[in-house]
Parts: sequence; structure tokens; C-alpha cells
Amino acid sequence: MPDNPTTDADRRASLVRLLRAAYPHPKFPDGPYERTADEILSQSQATLWHQLALTNGLDALDARAGGSFADLDDEAALALLKEIEDAEFFVFIRGVAVVTLYNDHETWELLGYEGPSFDKGGYLHRGFDDLDWLPSPRIEEYDGPEQLVEVAPDDMPAATAGDQR
Amino acid sequence: MSENSLGQPIPHDEEAVVIVGSGAGGGTLAYELTAKGIPCVVLEAGPYLKPEDYENDEWAAFNQMAWLDNRTASGSFRVARDFPNLPAWIVKAVGGSTTHWSGATPRFRAYEFQTRTYYGEIEGANLLDWPITLDDLAPYYDRAEIAIGSTHRHGRPALPANNNYKVFANGAEKIGYRFYATGPYGTNAEPYDGRPASVQDGFNFQGDKSTAKWSTAVREIPRALETGKLDLRPESQAVQVTHDAQGRANAVLYLDKDGNLHRQAARIVCVAGNSIESPRLLLMSASALHPDGLANSSGQLGRNYMRHTTGSVYARFDRPVRMYRGETMAGIVADEARQDTSRGFAGGYYMETLSLGPAFLAAFVDPGSWGPGYTEVLDAYENTAGLWIVGEDMPQETNRVTLNTALKDQWGLPAPDVHFDDHPNDVAMREHGYSRADLMYEAVGAVGTHHTPPYPATHNLGTCRMSARPEDGVVDKWGQAHDVPGLFVSDGSVMTTGAAANPTLTIVALAIRQAERIADQLGKGEL
Repeated sequence: MPDNPTTDADRRASLVRLLRAAYPHPKFPDGPYERTADEILSQSQATLWHQLALTNGLDALDARAGGSFADLDDEAALALLKEIEDAEFFVFIRGVAVVTLYNDHETWELLGYEGPSFDKGGYLHRGFDDLDWLPSPRIEEYDGPEQLVEVAPDDMPAATAGDQR
Repeated sequence: MSENSLGQPIPHDEEAVVIVGSGAGGGTLAYELTAKGIPCVVLEAGPYLKPEDYENDEWAAFNQMAWLDNRTASGSFRVARDFPNLPAWIVKAVGGSTTHWSGATPRFRAYEFQTRTYYGEIEGANLLDWPITLDDLAPYYDRAEIAIGSTHRHGRPALPANNNYKVFANGAEKIGYRFYATGPYGTNAEPYDGRPASVQDGFNFQGDKSTAKWSTAVREIPRALETGKLDLRPESQAVQVTHDAQGRANAVLYLDKDGNLHRQAARIVCVAGNSIESPRLLLMSASALHPDGLANSSGQLGRNYMRHTTGSVYARFDRPVRMYRGETMAGIVADEARQDTSRGFAGGYYMETLSLGPAFLAAFVDPGSWGPGYTEVLDAYENTAGLWIVGEDMPQETNRVTLNTALKDQWGLPAPDVHFDDHPNDVAMREHGYSRADLMYEAVGAVGTHHTPPYPATHNLGTCRMSARPEDGVVDKWGQAHDVPGLFVSDGSVMTTGAAANPTLTIVALAIRQAERIADQLGKGEL
């Protein structure tokens, strides 16, 4: 054990910083990233291997950052993550992050998604067709003079050409 | 008694019509036969979920109804790398994958039943003409469209244009496409058949709580139960189809939810477990008479697995679209659904509106991706329009479902492995689709587009192909096994080739036709 072991709180802070660098959304506050970090930490507890990989991986990031990964600016953090893209702990983090960060109701709202709708009567009276920057298109099938040619003339089988449409 | 049974109980030793699966094929068959007074036992691996159980939440619904039993994916397709245990996204519940289908109901075209004749010899493709034609199926397509209530057909009105369709259809018109519309689509635009009109709630892949969308869980299964001729056994996993000394199918062995093994005697067995589970069940039913799997004298069982050539395009605009509001797939462009090899490939494809919520878009838009290029796509969510490319893929003998004896499911049965490699024709078609979708969206002002690779397959076809000659396929033109009297296959597995159209309508039409045949043959004592 090192003399001054990195604390769990430090690791969580590093993880939040990592998530923000890997999934940068200027509009997102810290909340969704923190909840995602907590979910990653929680899932890592399920197997000793992931627990070790995560702890070692975050510590290694700090070492490569010359002390603290959390202190790097966006560009430097992103560059460092690119270098370790295939590291197992980072693959594990991403696997949990994509199904957690974007399954967060605060995130949905920030991205402009309204979530469950059936209980509100769907969108029938709440803007399912409120797009107004394009004309209203035809909804019926085409009934003009053009015909859809199902088989191009050059693709007619030789033996049956002439008696197919 | 740990068996879960609904409807009219049928004794285990009574030789009934035993149907494995309750989706588009099995559910339709059960209704059509029980309506004619023929007793049926339906064995369904999943639970009986009701519309009130469905969830307006992508991951919650996925975990509620997706088939998540052990499976493996192998081969060079990207799904094998990104989702090695999820080659297909199908439903394990009463109603099967009609529970989460989106609803597009185009018919197959005439040439698509004769691809060997029209496409000729394509290297690496195991093309074969179907033993039936569009004319044979046309009356059953009518009945299937009426059952489903397809919009634009038989007097059913069109659905209105939602936001995603407005972008899609305007783009289509601008680049010269003509054959676009909001359907045909299997969701009510007005009340029909005892079910309400769409409220445009935007949830299809999660089950439709409103019941405006057709599924066998809201139409065929409840009606079959009302006949008093159906014994529906949910949470019943079929394990083997057995045959008598003469080689005739005579029973199905299955497990109830607690793992107890039962035997249901059968006069005939109809397998409709989707194109992964159906061949798996027949492979697990190998016997001394059928050492390579039941009904596999051709060696074609499990082969020619098709998943449609697919891809999605998500386009960003500088103004809001809100693609998630409204019916997910009520928008179809049919202009590329034709045979014209001057495009550089055989077969055709459709483009159909598609929307995912942020949760699924994040998981599927570019699996494994991260960083600013990835988050840019999600940041544009509100201003994004989406479509799906769905076209005919080439049947290949080496694309196949096998038993993975190294991996077992929760019952100790070998898990299925789904092996798939794209054919060069599939790749050329997908690239063409991406480029046409880009043109459509750029024509109406897209500031960027993203090409999303194929998802785990929702259209799984062809592993028990229909053929005129026993040496070419597994079942005959009625779906009856060439090798095993009394054994039928009743789902999309029977498709000789996959056509471009979404398969549900055709599966339903084939099941209605098969039910008529079975009832006729049973009535004459010929089965």
C-alpha cells in the first residue's frame, strides 16, 4: 500500500472528470455525471476483477497525468483517454456510462426528450405534427401518372422477357 | 401444479394441434384454427404481458420483454463484436415480436418470389425460387391486411404526418421520389376492429399500451381464448419435438416455469418460435431417424439465415424536429424497392421513418463510440430526423443458426449461435441506401448526417426454407416438413428468400394460408 493512498472520494472525482471528458455535453450539470459515476462504482463492486481494474486504471490515469487526472483541461484529458481507449477499465466504464448517462431523466430533458407519453394522452394534442418549417407533405400513396418499374428492362430474365410486366 | 395455463384445458395425452410460439405466425395460426373449432395447445416461452404491463421506457421495456436467454453471435458482422450475446432483438412474451413490431406492412413484390430466376447466379448466394408466387399469396395478403387493419388498404384511412415524416417525405419529394406515404401501417388511424385510434404516443418497440397497434397479443390470442378451443401455456419452453416409429411428429416435450418437464401429445406440431428458436428446437430434436436434426435431410436446417440489409441515418437540422413524437415508422419510401442492377446490386430496399429515444440512440447510434463526435449526435437530439433502410439480403448457406454446445441456457440446453457475414451485395445495397438518405435529408437542409450500422436483428428469416424439392429446403409450399409428416413450420423461418419488405404481413398471410390447409387436411383425415 502506498503511504498516502488515493481516497474513494478522489477516485469518484476522477471518474466524474473522466466522464465529462469522454462524454462532453456543455449543457449538462454535474448531477448526471455524478449519478453515472456512482453507478459505475456500484457495478464495479460486483466482481473483484472490475473493482481492481477500475481502481488501478484510475490511479494509472493520475500517474500519467503527472499527479491528478482531474486537474487536466478538456483537451489534455481527451488526449490521454484516446491513448488508453482499449484499456479494460475504460471499456467497462463506457459500457455502463452509455446505458446510464443517457437513461437519466435530467439528461432527457436537457436533450429535449419528453419521456413517457401515454399517460399524458400521447402527442396527439401535444405537438406530434407541430413542425412548421416544411410544407405539409402528402400522406396518401402516389396516384399520379408515373409507374414504379418493379424490374428494370435490362433485368428481365431472358427466358420470360416479354410476358412479365 | 406449477403449470401456467389459460383458456380451455386440454389433457396432456390428448393429441391436439400443438403450436410452439404465439407471435405473428403461431398466434395467427392458433386463432385461425380455433375459430374453425380445432383444439390447439400453444406453448409460449414468455409470460402473458398485457398492454397495462408495457412500459413507456426503452430500457425498462427491453428488460421486460426482450429475449435475453443466452445466445451468441459469430461471423464478421459488427453485431458480433458490439453485442456478442444479442444477435437479435426479438420478444419473449405472448404475442411474440408482434408486441414490439413497428407496423410497416408492405407486400412482397412478384419478382421477390423468384429471385433465382430474376437475379440469376450470384456468387456466394444460395438463391432459390419460392415454390409459391405472389398470385398464390395475394388472397391471404388481403386477409392479413384486414386482420391487421393496415392503413391505406381495404378502406382504412392513412395516418397523419408526424414531425419525422414531414422531414422524410419533403426530402423524398425533393429528390424525385414518388412512392412515399404514411403507410401501409398496422396501427389504427381511426377506431377499427374494437381497438382505438393512435394517440401518437411514440412507443412501439416497447409494446403499445393504447392497443391501436395490431399484435397477436391484443387480437388473435384473446379471440382464440374466447373460442373455448385454446389452451394457452405461457412460460413454457419447448425442448424437443418427438416422432413415432413411423417418423410422424407425435408430441412436444417442454419445461414449465419451474423447470418441470412435460409431454404434450400432438396430432400435428407447428413450430413458430422465430428464425433462431425454430431451427434450434428442430436441431435439439435430433433422433436416430434424424441424426442431424429433425427434418434436416437436406442439410439446410438452420442455414440461409437472413436478417435484412439494414442501416439507419440520423440527420441533424438547425431547427427542431422532435422525431420521437408520434408513430415511429409511419413513413415509407418504396421507390428503391425494385430490381435494377444498374444501381450495383440485386434486390431492393425500403426507407422508413425511425426514431429512438436518447437511451437507445446512445447505445446503438455507433456502438463503442465516445468523445466529442459522439456527443455531437446526441446534443442534436431535438433537431434530429431518422430513417431506417431495410432491404433484401442474400441467403448464404454459411449464415446459419447452430447449437453452441459450449454455452447453455438457464435450463441447461445448448444456446443458439447465430453466424453471419455480409454478402458484398448486402454491403453495396446498404451504401446505396445511406447515400440516398443523405440526399433526401440534405435536400431539406440537413447540417449533418450520421450513418448507424445494423442493430441486433428484428427481422430474422429463412432458417427452415420452403422449397419445391426436398433436397433444397426444409419445408414444402405449405410449410410442412419434407421429411416429417405432421410437422409444420409457421413463422418467418420458412422464407425461401427475404424480399425487401418488413416480414410480419407476409408471416401472417402465410399462417392464414397454412391454417386453411391444415383445417382442410384434418377435415379429410389426411393429417
